Amino acid sequence: MDKDELINGHLEGSLSDNQLEEFELLLKTDATFASDFEFQNELRTALKKNERQEIKTLFNGLTPEEGTPQTKVIPMRPWLVAASVALLIGLGSWLLFFNNADVNTDQLYAANFAPYENVVHPIERGEQLADLKTRAFTAYENQDYLLALELFKELQIEQSDSYIDFYEAVVLMQLNRHQEAASLLETYIKNNGQLKDRARWYLALSFLKLKAIAKSKNQLRQLVDQKGFKQEAAKELLQKID
Amino acid sequence: MNDRQLITQLKKRDRNALKDVYREYKTEFFRFASRYTKTNDTLEDIFQDAIIALYENALAGKLDNLNSSLKTYLFSIGKFMLFKKFRDAKEITTDETYIFDQREKAVMYDVYEDEGPSEYQKKMVAGFKKLGDKCREILELFYLQGLKLEEIVSIQDYDNKNVVKSQKSRCLKSLKELIQYNDG
Repeated sequence: MDKDELINGHLEGSLSDNQLEEFELLLKTDATFASDFEFQNELRTALKKNERQEIKTLFNGLTPEEGTPQTKVIPMRPWLVAASVALLIGLGSWLLFFNNADVNTDQLYAANFAPYENVVHPIERGEQLADLKTRAFTAYENQDYLLALELFKELQIEQSDSYIDFYEAVVLMQLNRHQEAASLLETYIKNNGQLKDRARWYLALSFLKLKAIAKSKNQLRQLVDQKGFKQEAAKELLQKID
Repeated sequence: MNDRQLITQLKKRDRNALKDVYREYKTEFFRFASRYTKTNDTLEDIFQDAIIALYENALAGKLDNLNSSLKTYLFSIGKFMLFKKFRDAKEITTDETYIFDQREKAVMYDVYEDEGPSEYQKKMVAGFKKLGDKCREILELFYLQGLKLEEIVSIQDYDNKNVVKSQKSRCLKSLKELIQYNDG
């Protein structure tokens, strides 16, 4: 099976377990392959999001008789629109010029942090809760972070897969233990973990929270350079920090 | 159209089928959801998101063997989204609630949390719209309608899967060039 077929198969969801393994391996080892896949994955998301907007426009265009309950629309006078725009621009530049000296790292952190989805161990409903890995990720998905931390630590002893470090770090961030999280993430990145770019993003956020601005910016720049995961968000965040 | 016909049409990305669902259930959905909020804008958002999630799950084949009515399915998505929005809301019991699997839920989350395309994604779409008809069609069938390359062979009258495959990769190459051109 050639590389194109592997990517197509992955997007179709038609790969066998063996092919999936091959896919994962190439994703880690072959940069061209990874960027090809990333591009197509991004394209799919872009098309989907675009279609969703089109559908909403379609719905909003249906006349009130067609969609029964009437929604009130308050007509806006043009001068009022102009005035609001002017006010927004005014306020915006005021914020930009006068409020920028002290970056509010907490706010930036809150606006950007979201726990990373569980991509390692999908949990199917009705699965036995017996095994440790499942219990750990269930706690993680249920946002029971204290329990998740405990279970990830146990899991780390049982099987030392490096992705456990990554998820443990995200859990620590949730518990506001950023120093510990940062050091785990740094190790994870150093060991070239599979979710390395994801880890960089979280590391940047942890640094932000620790007010280590220079370190945070350093990680963000690397994300922007890699042109992959969160490159846009990293770019935006960098601008806000500056 | 009955439920089965609607689902078939939705899977073909038929816009009229979407409109039908919208018209058919709007009043009743608003009445049902007004227990959570009286704000029309919020109700409208959730109703539209629910239809979109239903549509995407239909495309993914999740409604092929639907064992409930389309209405139950739609309202159950709505309920799911209402719970997300009003976390502290008391669960209301409805006659029927559909049990979703993990993937269906993932779609619902994704639609609910969608805040529109990023700048780069907008650029991709702009490039996509400049592609020729044949390319747009093949890429939409693959990425949006979720068809496998083998299924596209018969729809577009290609000789075999390999022709589709190389056509698709040519289209992607043009798209990349269009996006880069716009950057520079």
